[in-house]
Amino acid sequence: MAGAGVIDDYVTALDRRLRGPGHVKDDLLAEARDSLHDAAAAHRDGGLTEEAAQRRAVAEFGPVNAIAREYQGLLGLAHGARTLRTVMLVLPLTHVMWELNRKFWIGAWNDFDAPPPDWYLVIARLNDISAWVVAGAAVIALLIGRRLARTALSTVTLARLAGTVAVVAVGLNVTGNVAILAGTAHLDAARLLMSPPVAAATVVSFVIALRLAVLARRCVVFSSV
Amino acid sequence: MKSDALRGHLDALLLATLDGGQLHGYAIIEALQKRSGGALDLPTGTVYPALRRLETAGLVASEWSTVGGRQRRTYRLTKAGHRALAAERTAWREFTTAIEGVLGGGPWPAQA
Repeated sequence: MAGAGVIDDYVTALDRRLRGPGHVKDDLLAEARDSLHDAAAAHRDGGLTEEAAQRRAVAEFGPVNAIAREYQGLLGLAHGARTLRTVMLVLPLTHVMWELNRKFWIGAWNDFDAPPPDWYLVIARLNDISAWVVAGAAVIALLIGRRLARTALSTVTLARLAGTVAVVAVGLNVTGNVAILAGTAHLDAARLLMSPPVAAATVVSFVIALRLAVLARRCVVFSSV
Repeated sequence: MKSDALRGHLDALLLATLDGGQLHGYAIIEALQKRSGGALDLPTGTVYPALRRLETAGLVASEWSTVGGRQRRTYRLTKAGHRALAAERTAWREFTTAIEGVLGGGPWPAQA
């Protein structure tokens, strides 16, 4: 049927402009397609031809670039919220897993041959509390974001805020992990490999941190409109 | 009515359309147009992102369900949404009362 693909073309054009979590995107596009077909059906009932009905439905839906911007904001926000929830749960769990592993396989840390310098103790303490501080920041960001969603702030702005918190949180975590690893290697490199299970847990912690870094980077990409 | 003028009130309008029960997206758009006598004229594509933002805010909840033999995402007010709607209505009445007092009384008497 001539013009029967007007809605399909519009949804395809919208799809091409959107980046973000696949299931959220599919859900948004399915709903948009349903709405356009509902509108076209109403216009057909009003006497328009199939092509005219679809063209009118698409025109009423809005210019694809403007609509894509709003949908992209939603996708960025959905990904940002998911990343913050992941940070909130995974970082404390990773930290606890590593500490339990260390206590089981190594027990209490033996003292270094010489008392560690102050800078190392500062890094160690900051690294110990960073997982909890970062997780707490993610919880607070999610709660504040929920309140801000009730204001006139656009979803694009909310997505950028969520992305910023996620990037800072994950950046702190990665920096803390790298700092304690480098510091320990500098003072007593053998300590890093004194227990293979603990070394493996350290590798797992880094893999998780890198995965979170990828998620945080996508927050920036998906909220760039 | 211009869409820019509506945008600031869109959240409250959407909450109001859901006051009577759950609706799918296009039914919400139809309700907005019907209850406004066709005066509310904004791109329908902007309604869905607004609904999803209200869902993020916890004011509406949505789910896919079968309506008229088709799968559709339907929206309903949450308890927080009902409270937000009541607050919006109160604020709107106060606003319109104040504006009506200034604008609605016809020409002001000439000052001496």
